[in-house]
Amino acid sequence: MEKKAFKVEDKLRLVLVGNPNSGKSTLFNSLTGLNQRIGNFPGVTVEKKIGSVRINEKVVAEVIDLPGTYSLSPRSEDERVTFDYLNDSTRTDLPELIVVVADASNLKRNLLLATQLIDSEQPTILVLNMMDVVERNKQNIDIDKLQKRLGIPVIPMNARLGKGTRELKSIIGNYQYKKANKFIEDHESKDALENTINRFEKIKGIIADTLTKIGESRTAVVTRKIDSVFTHPIWGFSIFLFILFLIFQAIFSWSSYPMEWIEGGFLVLGNWLAETLPQGVLNDLLVDGVLAGLGGIIIFIPQIAMLFMFIAILEDTGYLSRVSFLTDALLKRFGLNGRSIIPLLGGAACAVPAIMSARTIANKKERLLTIFVTPLISCSARIPVYTLLIALVIPADKQFLSFNLQGIVMMGLYLLGFVAAMVTAFIMKYVVKSEERSHFVMELPIYRTPRWSNVAMTILNKTKLFLFEAGKIIIAVSIVLWVLSSYGPGDEMANVDAKYKSELAESNADVTAINEKIATDKLEVSYAGHIGKFIEPAIRPLGFDWKIGISIITSFAAREVFVGTMATLYTVGNEENTEGIKAKMQRATFSDTGEKVYTRATGYSLLIFYAFALQCMATVAIVVKETGGWKWPIIQLVYMGALAYFSSLLIYQIFS
Amino acid sequence: MKSSLADHKVGDRVILKEVLDAQLTIQLYSMGCVIGEELLIERKAPFGDPMIISVEDSFISLRKDDAQKMQVILSE
Repeated sequence: MEKKAFKVEDKLRLVLVGNPNSGKSTLFNSLTGLNQRIGNFPGVTVEKKIGSVRINEKVVAEVIDLPGTYSLSPRSEDERVTFDYLNDSTRTDLPELIVVVADASNLKRNLLLATQLIDSEQPTILVLNMMDVVERNKQNIDIDKLQKRLGIPVIPMNARLGKGTRELKSIIGNYQYKKANKFIEDHESKDALENTINRFEKIKGIIADTLTKIGESRTAVVTRKIDSVFTHPIWGFSIFLFILFLIFQAIFSWSSYPMEWIEGGFLVLGNWLAETLPQGVLNDLLVDGVLAGLGGIIIFIPQIAMLFMFIAILEDTGYLSRVSFLTDALLKRFGLNGRSIIPLLGGAACAVPAIMSARTIANKKERLLTIFVTPLISCSARIPVYTLLIALVIPADKQFLSFNLQGIVMMGLYLLGFVAAMVTAFIMKYVVKSEERSHFVMELPIYRTPRWSNVAMTILNKTKLFLFEAGKIIIAVSIVLWVLSSYGPGDEMANVDAKYKSELAESNADVTAINEKIATDKLEVSYAGHIGKFIEPAIRPLGFDWKIGISIITSFAAREVFVGTMATLYTVGNEENTEGIKAKMQRATFSDTGEKVYTRATGYSLLIFYAFALQCMATVAIVVKETGGWKWPIIQLVYMGALAYFSSLLIYQIFS
Repeated sequence: MKSSLADHKVGDRVILKEVLDAQLTIQLYSMGCVIGEELLIERKAPFGDPMIISVEDSFISLRKDDAQKMQVILSE
C-alpha cells in the first residue's frame, strides 16, 4: 500500500492502536476529555470512539481509539475491526498518524504490534506508556537507542498523570514522515507464524540492548500475594460471592433515592404538560405515550449506571480477569467461557449493553451462547414487577426458616434466572455446531488502583448505550401501545363516554373517580383489551385473566410497563400508589367463575413468566445487530416464550 | 526431555520448546510467551484447569487443553 508523504495540515487524524491493558483508553480520555463520541464501524457493531484534540495553534486532530489488539492477526470481533481499519487503503480523507500505545513495563510483547505497523509502511509513532511502572520495576529504557533501532519517534509517557502529553503533542506537531526500514522483510518468512517468530527474535535483541535492570522488581510479588487469596478455589469464590452481595445491596439501597426523584420529576412534568398543552390527541400522545415511555427508560439509569460503575472498577483493578479465571472451568462445561462472566453480570442491569460486551469473547460459539442466555438474567426492569407481585401474594410478615419470605422469593428469582441461563447454555452447547477450537489464553494484568477517568467514561458510555439503543425502541413501542390502548374497534370507545356522560353532568359528581372508571372501561374495549380477551383462553391454564393478558402485551415495550397497565386496569389514578393497586388486585375475581384471580398459584406463575419471557424489544433489536440477522433473536424469542409458558403452566398446576 | 506443560506442577520453572498448534502459538507469542522463554507455573485451579503461568512479569491464564499442546523442558 503506497501512502503519500505525511504532511502536517490544519486537520489530521490520530489513530490509537495498542495491546489491551496498555493504557490506550486512558491516553484517549486524557487527550480528548469530554470531546468524544461513540459511533459504529461500518458493517460491524464494534464501538468506534472518536474525539478531538488541539495539537498546537494551527492543528486540531481527530482521534480514533481502535479496540485493543495484541497483534495484526485478529482473534475476536474487536480485534478484527482494528485489523480491517489498518488494512483499508481507501481512507484518504485525512492525513493519518498511527500512535502505537505500548505498556513499557511489558515492552517485549508490546513491540510486536509496533513493529508490525512499522512494516505496514504507515506513518507511525510509539508511545511508551506506564513509565512509572518501569521505574517501580527497577528498570531503565534507553529511549534514544530504541528510537534509532525502530526508526520511528518514541515518546515516554504516563498517561494516567498526563505526563508526556506536551512532548507527544510537540512531536505530532512537527512530524515529518520518513520511511523506516522494514523490520522483517516479507520474503524472510513463509507464513504468519514464522513471521511472528522471526519478529520476536529481533525484538529480543533490541530489548537486550535498550532495557537494563537496575534492581529487583516488586510489582509481580504484590500481585502474586493478592492472587494467592483471590484465585484460591475456596477463598476466591467466597470473596467473589461476597463482592456480588455487597454490590447488589449497594445498588438496591442507594438507587432508590435518585429513582424517587426521577419518578417525582416525571409526574410533575406530565401533569404540567397535560394542563399546559391544549387538550386533544396530541396531548394524550405526548403525555401518555412519549413521556410515559421516556420516564420508564430514565427511571432505570441510576441502577444501570451503578452496576456498570462497579463492573468498571472491578475490571480496571484487574480483578475481573481473576473472576474469569475462577469461573472458566465451570462455565466451560456449559459451553461458555470465563469471559462470559462480564456479560452475565451486566445482564443484571440491562441486557442491551451486556450483550454488546460479549464482543471480547473470541470463540464464535461461546459468544453466541453468551448472547443467547444473557437475557435470562433478571434485569432492572423486572424488579418493579417482582416487587408488586411478591407484595401481592406473600404476606410481609411471613417467615421461612426465620428469614423474610418476600426477600427469599426475590433472591430465588435471581437465582432461577441464572440457573435457567446455565441450563439453556448447556442445551445449546449440543445444538450449535462449531469446528473452531476454543482457547482461554488471557492476560491477567497486575493489580492497580482504578483509573477513575476510565471508570467515569465506562459509566457514561454504557448508560448512553442503554439510553439510545434501548431507549429509541422503548419509545417506539410505547407509542404503538398507546395507539392500541387508546383506540378501539367500532364506536365502543364513544359508548363508554356516553355511558358516563350523565354521571359526570351531576353537580355533586366525583370527577376524578368517574374519569378513572372511564379509563378502565376504555382500556377494556380498546384494541389492547380485545387482544387481551382474545388470548385469554391460551393463558387461562397459567392462571391469568384477560387483564393480565393486556399487561403481558403492553410489557413488550419494557417489562416494568406491567405495573402501569395494572394501575390503569384496576382504576388506580396514581401509578405510584402500589398499595392501591395491590388492594384492588387482591379483590379481583375471574368474570366467569367468580374465583379470586391473584392466588398464590397465579402470583408464582406470573413471577416465573416474567423471569423467563423475552418481553423486551430492545434486547431483540440488539441481538439482531450483534448476530447479524433475525435467525437467533427469533429462536431466542420463541425459546424464552415457550420456557416461560410451560414453566408457568407447571407452577400454576402445582400450586393450585 | 520434553514433556507437556500440563504435566508440570505449581512452582516448576520450565523452558518453552514447542507449541503444537499454530493459532495457539501466535496467541501465546502476542502475549510475550515465546519459545525459549522461561515460564513459571504460578497456580492451578482444581483439576489443573485452568492454570496461571508467568513469563517475566506478565501473568497468563491457560486451559489444560492449551497447556497440553505446549512442550517444555525443566529449567536448570
